[in-house]
Amino acid sequence: MLKLPTKLAAMTAFLLATVASGACGSAYADDPVLQTEESDIIKLSPVTDHRILVQDAVGHHAKDGRVYVVDADRGKLLGMVQAAYNGNVVQDPKGRAFYVGETVWSRGNRGDRADLLASYDPQTLEIVNDQVLPGRALVTPKKNDLTISSDGSRLYIYDMVPTNAVHVIDTASHKLSLNVDLPGCALTYPWGNAGFTSICADGSLANVSLNAGKAEVTHTKPFFDPEKDAVFEHSPTRRTDGKTWFISYSGLVYPTALSAQTKIDTAWSIQEAAGMKAAPAADSPFTVTWRPGGWQLSALHYATGHLFVTMHQGTFWTHKTAGTEVWELDVETHKLIRRIKLPKPSSMVGVTQDAKPLMFTSDEAGDLFIWDATTGTMLRKMPHLGDDLYFTVALGE
Amino acid sequence: MTQSDPSSGREMRANPLDRVTERLIRHVAGHSSRRSLLGRLGAWATFGALVPVLPVERVSAATPTKAAPSPKAPSPFAAKAQTTDPTACNYWRYCAIDGFLCASCGGGIHSCPPGTRPSPTSWIGTCFNPGDGQSYLVAYRDCCGQDACSQPACLGTDGDQPSYRPQANNDIIWCFGTGALVYNCSTSVIVGNAS
Repeated sequence: MLKLPTKLAAMTAFLLATVASGACGSAYADDPVLQTEESDIIKLSPVTDHRILVQDAVGHHAKDGRVYVVDADRGKLLGMVQAAYNGNVVQDPKGRAFYVGETVWSRGNRGDRADLLASYDPQTLEIVNDQVLPGRALVTPKKNDLTISSDGSRLYIYDMVPTNAVHVIDTASHKLSLNVDLPGCALTYPWGNAGFTSICADGSLANVSLNAGKAEVTHTKPFFDPEKDAVFEHSPTRRTDGKTWFISYSGLVYPTALSAQTKIDTAWSIQEAAGMKAAPAADSPFTVTWRPGGWQLSALHYATGHLFVTMHQGTFWTHKTAGTEVWELDVETHKLIRRIKLPKPSSMVGVTQDAKPLMFTSDEAGDLFIWDATTGTMLRKMPHLGDDLYFTVALGE
Repeated sequence: MTQSDPSSGREMRANPLDRVTERLIRHVAGHSSRRSLLGRLGAWATFGALVPVLPVERVSAATPTKAAPSPKAPSPFAAKAQTTDPTACNYWRYCAIDGFLCASCGGGIHSCPPGTRPSPTSWIGTCFNPGDGQSYLVAYRDCCGQDACSQPACLGTDGDQPSYRPQANNDIIWCFGTGALVYNCSTSVIVGNAS
């Protein structure tokens, strides 16, 4: 063993030699010495057309739901927020905020229940308001259980306990402004800033006009048979004018102008638009043909009126089967524009609202596929972005 | 009734008809139009009396390899359904189930795993049993109180309708009345004969 003075001398010599050799090493000659650092937090730029929100229900441990913030141009994850237990998300039409509806219990899986509405700053992903709701429906996340008015001033939150109702939230004051009881009806499809429409169990619609703190409800006549050919909840609405295209299980599209006096036009067939026979409904359950199916199975590009629908080959009652193709249709001409074959079946389709729109699909592995919606070509893939990617939210939709 | 016997029933509690009636009233009061109320009441009035005499155990214990008698299977799911393995998605009662099978999660076809509680509310499907050629009303009661069981999930969609038809929708967390509405797995309980 070396004695202490000898040991110190040896260490000093070693350090001097190390420094000398480092100073002479050409590979590091120009590198500055690393400086000390401080922790900071990234702040995002304002929301852009191709920055999307992706809802992940994480069905295998549903208390851990989340919403991802994704730069779709680069295929890059920018951040995420929690969206506990069948959480839902909607974005301010101008991108000034996004809102997450979620449900927690004070002791995890027990204790006092709290239904919450978190308002997020889209640049910092910080909660700017954390509001306790009177309730929200606990159901596998669907866009139309949490929607927003065209000007972003009101949120509509569907609830079903103790009775079917919609809670209207003022986004400026973060307060509940109205409860609208809607027995026998569900979901919300906003039209402009004046109100919303719900679908009722008998195949009719309930139109809710909001004015001066009051709600007036009108009803249409039933226009479809829910037991034989129900319309999908995931049918797209152009919020600015309330035009909605209700898509039925068999593939009929009902063009509908939502308002206090909703008008429903004659339905057209997705299959006929593609040059095929219209698909039969529940009366012929064994007929195999192309059918719409999945979860968030449709998306609309508002400006062009192009409708994107996930399609698969199957019998009736396969309405939740993931699509092997996306069909792009023109809602004005009722013509098929393009059939886009998917590398993996997708239960969802999303689209951005700009002039160079992107399209999104997913798969069972939680991959996110990013497409050029104008050509139907795939641009990039984000491997395993999450577990259960149920839908996307884009600016202005 | 042991844990290893997934087809065995739970301990008998209240009269089944009482429980059925309670569920019915709770359900229709909150979620149904008058039209569907009348229809559902009619169905229950017709089939409710059969609940105590339904051949549940005999069906599950019967030799399942018999060819299906008439009538023919009414749906593509029914045409491929089997009666022997309640841990497989094509078991006949799972024609409209959505989620994790309690039979694979420590429970049984109509039994909740320990640590969970059955919901007093449910959605109702109609499934064809190829073993006896009969169709049955099946209540898909969720077992609740623990987070998702996370065994391989099954999705049956025979007769599944959107959530604006809650009595036939399998997306809703059917854990009302169980404390925390945290979903663990799904059972399929025969509550009537629909043939």
